[in-house]
Amino acid sequence: MAVASNPLRAGPRLARIPEPSTLVIFGGSGDLVSRKLMPALYNLALQRLLPTTFAVVGAARRPLTDAQYREELHQAVAEHSRTKPINDEVWRSFSDHVHYVSTGTDRGYGDLATVLDRVERDLAMPSNRLFYLATPPAAYEAIIAGIGAHGLARPAAGGWSRVVVEKPFGDDLESAIELTEKLHEVFPEEAIFRIDHYLGKETVQNVLVLRFANGIFEPLWNRQYVDHVQITVAESIGIEERAEYYDRAGAIRDVVQNHLLQLMALVAMEPPGAFDANAVRDEKIKVLRAIRPLAADEITSSTVRGQYAAGFIEGTDARAYRDEDKVAPDSTTETYVALRMVVDNWRWEGTPFYLRTGKRLPKRATEIAIQFRVAPHQVFSRESAEGLDPNTLVLRIQPDEGISLKFGAKVPVQGIRIRSVNMDFVYGASFMVDAPDAYETLILDALRGDATLFTRRDEVEQQWRLIDPIVGAWRSGQVDLPTYAAGTWGPTEADLLIARDGRAWRKP
Amino acid sequence: MAKTVIDRAVWGAPADGVSSLERELARQRRARTAHAREGQMVARASVLNLAVFAEREVHARRAARTIAKLAFRHPSRAIVLWTDRGRTRRAEAAHDTKTRLQMHCELSEADEVHQVCYEQILVRALGDTYERLASAVIPLLLPDLPVFLWWTDTPPFGGRHFTDLIDLADRLIIDSADFARPDIALPQVAEVCRLGRGRYGVTDFNWTRLTPWRELVAAFFDVPLMRPYLDAVTGIRIGFTVDADGREVHPSQALLLLGWLASRLGWRAAEALAPSEAGGLLFAVGRADGERIAVRVRPRFERGLEEGDLSGLRIQARRAGRNAEFVVKRIPGTGLVVTTALVDGAIVTERTLPLRVPTVVDLLGEELTIVGSDRIYEDALKAIVSLA
Repeated sequence: MAVASNPLRAGPRLARIPEPSTLVIFGGSGDLVSRKLMPALYNLALQRLLPTTFAVVGAARRPLTDAQYREELHQAVAEHSRTKPINDEVWRSFSDHVHYVSTGTDRGYGDLATVLDRVERDLAMPSNRLFYLATPPAAYEAIIAGIGAHGLARPAAGGWSRVVVEKPFGDDLESAIELTEKLHEVFPEEAIFRIDHYLGKETVQNVLVLRFANGIFEPLWNRQYVDHVQITVAESIGIEERAEYYDRAGAIRDVVQNHLLQLMALVAMEPPGAFDANAVRDEKIKVLRAIRPLAADEITSSTVRGQYAAGFIEGTDARAYRDEDKVAPDSTTETYVALRMVVDNWRWEGTPFYLRTGKRLPKRATEIAIQFRVAPHQVFSRESAEGLDPNTLVLRIQPDEGISLKFGAKVPVQGIRIRSVNMDFVYGASFMVDAPDAYETLILDALRGDATLFTRRDEVEQQWRLIDPIVGAWRSGQVDLPTYAAGTWGPTEADLLIARDGRAWRKP
Repeated sequence: MAKTVIDRAVWGAPADGVSSLERELARQRRARTAHAREGQMVARASVLNLAVFAEREVHARRAARTIAKLAFRHPSRAIVLWTDRGRTRRAEAAHDTKTRLQMHCELSEADEVHQVCYEQILVRALGDTYERLASAVIPLLLPDLPVFLWWTDTPPFGGRHFTDLIDLADRLIIDSADFARPDIALPQVAEVCRLGRGRYGVTDFNWTRLTPWRELVAAFFDVPLMRPYLDAVTGIRIGFTVDADGREVHPSQALLLLGWLASRLGWRAAEALAPSEAGGLLFAVGRADGERIAVRVRPRFERGLEEGDLSGLRIQARRAGRNAEFVVKRIPGTGLVVTTALVDGAIVTERTLPLRVPTVVDLLGEELTIVGSDRIYEDALKAIVSLA
């Protein structure tokens, strides 16, 4: 029987709680689980958002008992939970239904099947299973095969099975297609939840609310009024513990292929008919398809890559990328990317989108800046309008989530002197003190079966179609790999890329 | 003439009249901006108007503290109307019948961030000023923002000033926990809801306090195996907290929970509410299929809880020859509850979850996020009225 038939759930105040279900986490003792997934699950339990009957089964290679596994997770949650200290009673009640299965042996998947059946029988719950692939991508194939061979995803009558796949989803178009095909051997497309945790962020969802719940922005949201758009994902950190992955992926696969293109799609898409999974994703894919792939001869002029050299971050020494642990001293992996993209449709013809991301930039800042065209005719003298910048609407994703609008105002003196002022809406100050973590939102959505904030097959593949030619050209050495000092806003080549159009990067 | 002393540390600078008050706020805003760091603006963020009606100084001060704590989440223009009933009576006795409204205002910084300021205005009414109150509030409201009216006492249903003030509001916030006679006052609230339909919404902190309880009860029946029992309830027991002497008896919250179940499940009155031992109630309601449900609302002394707060509940059901019980029980002194579902005496699920007693700040903070009316609440109220 469907949950919707519970008449007590009616009304705006009670959250929609997922059906009784089991979360099976592969890579159950890994870093993602300790840092993100378990703290998110614990916080969901604390907010009473988990179903009444809910179990977690961790699966990984190491041999561990349930008790050992629970203890490891307890420590991880105590360290990484956003609410501290952790409530031991609530943890105990939650962790009573946490189990561990070692998949390191031949019997692994058989054991997993037995444990799942037992848990579901003991808790008298239907076979609703959410499989979460939190392992490195190299392990996906074996896991999917294991799930398939043991029929773990073939639920008993009335149950469902879904799978959550972490990024990166493939390293290029071909491998992404292969991975999807592998998954399709076991899961239908609507059961596949490709995670891009950026979409779980409150302020990213707010881009849709800002655009489509308000009547005043949309009429301006086009080539006629928008001069250009800048999207920045800047990080001040280096590569931390992720050298192995990062050195293979680089910034273009790590951030551009997923987060940046998704942000661009949210800004550029047409209004969807409804806020549901397919309506939103149909519009996103339409605009992703309208982004013009860079032709071979455009790649030199429209892309810049860079790698950080030694420098300073907030006054302390930062070493060069090539001096990081586990990075080859002659690595040619980019840690900075700037792109100029155009969208071939009626709305955006002639309005370029500048995307950039980098590690070891001066500060952590993610923002979308819509820069409007200047007034068509300047009424005021050039001297009086000297302090006037074009109107800019900035959506700040992190930190200091908010929206600001820059416009010109008269300085209160005799005569006319104009200066730009910022009207600032600090999101945290108006509504949110303790925003849920993106993983809390996304896990809950996957358990409820709501795929709106997950990436569909066609989106992922289209994103690779845009990225692959760039990676190919870079690999063949067509584009230089300049360095930039850590703690600066990237290589000078990036400034030239935007300066050629008579524009300049913002300093977020 | 009775001398009036206003604590300026709480209420800020005095102003004679609305325009002088606005000038004073503008002056404070300029001063704040001048002292702000270069390049950092002091934002005047307002998402709502909040008018608070208080007849006692302790309520007015509590409101001021609450607003200050919420300023970060809900920066607002807050207008505290303090009618000071006690002083007015004393003044009457001293033949000081002069009526006047005094105003004070302060631009304060939200606790957590210094760039966000909120505005607090005190309107202190002395003498027989009830009919003038609305005229003082109207010019103080910020345009284009919703108006919340928080009534800190049992509202004088039908009173002129009450009617005047709710006419200005988009949402009325009351707290039925303080109602001495819920059997009389709750039907009056239901009537206020009815009259307000399409104009303003009504909410009750006691309803806010019930949200986690409703969540916990609903969660039992999210489990498909348990769902059928919801149509087969045979008995319900709700415990609510009283003081050690059993004198402060406030069953409103317990009644609202019952009203909610009744309205959602189509229960009808079978017997009128009847008092039982020490302030409890014992009666029966009829299920949608006509079967009888025994209801017991029991007062209990429980340390660490406010009078009127729920202490636990037990729902019994019988279906296809099996007896099920759904129990929610606070673990005293821990801020936790245990929820247990049993079938034929055997535990099927058991969970320990946090359930702390919310503060006024939590309650008001939650209510300020909702602008419209809450039909589920209104239905619950209506159901209580039909049972009473």
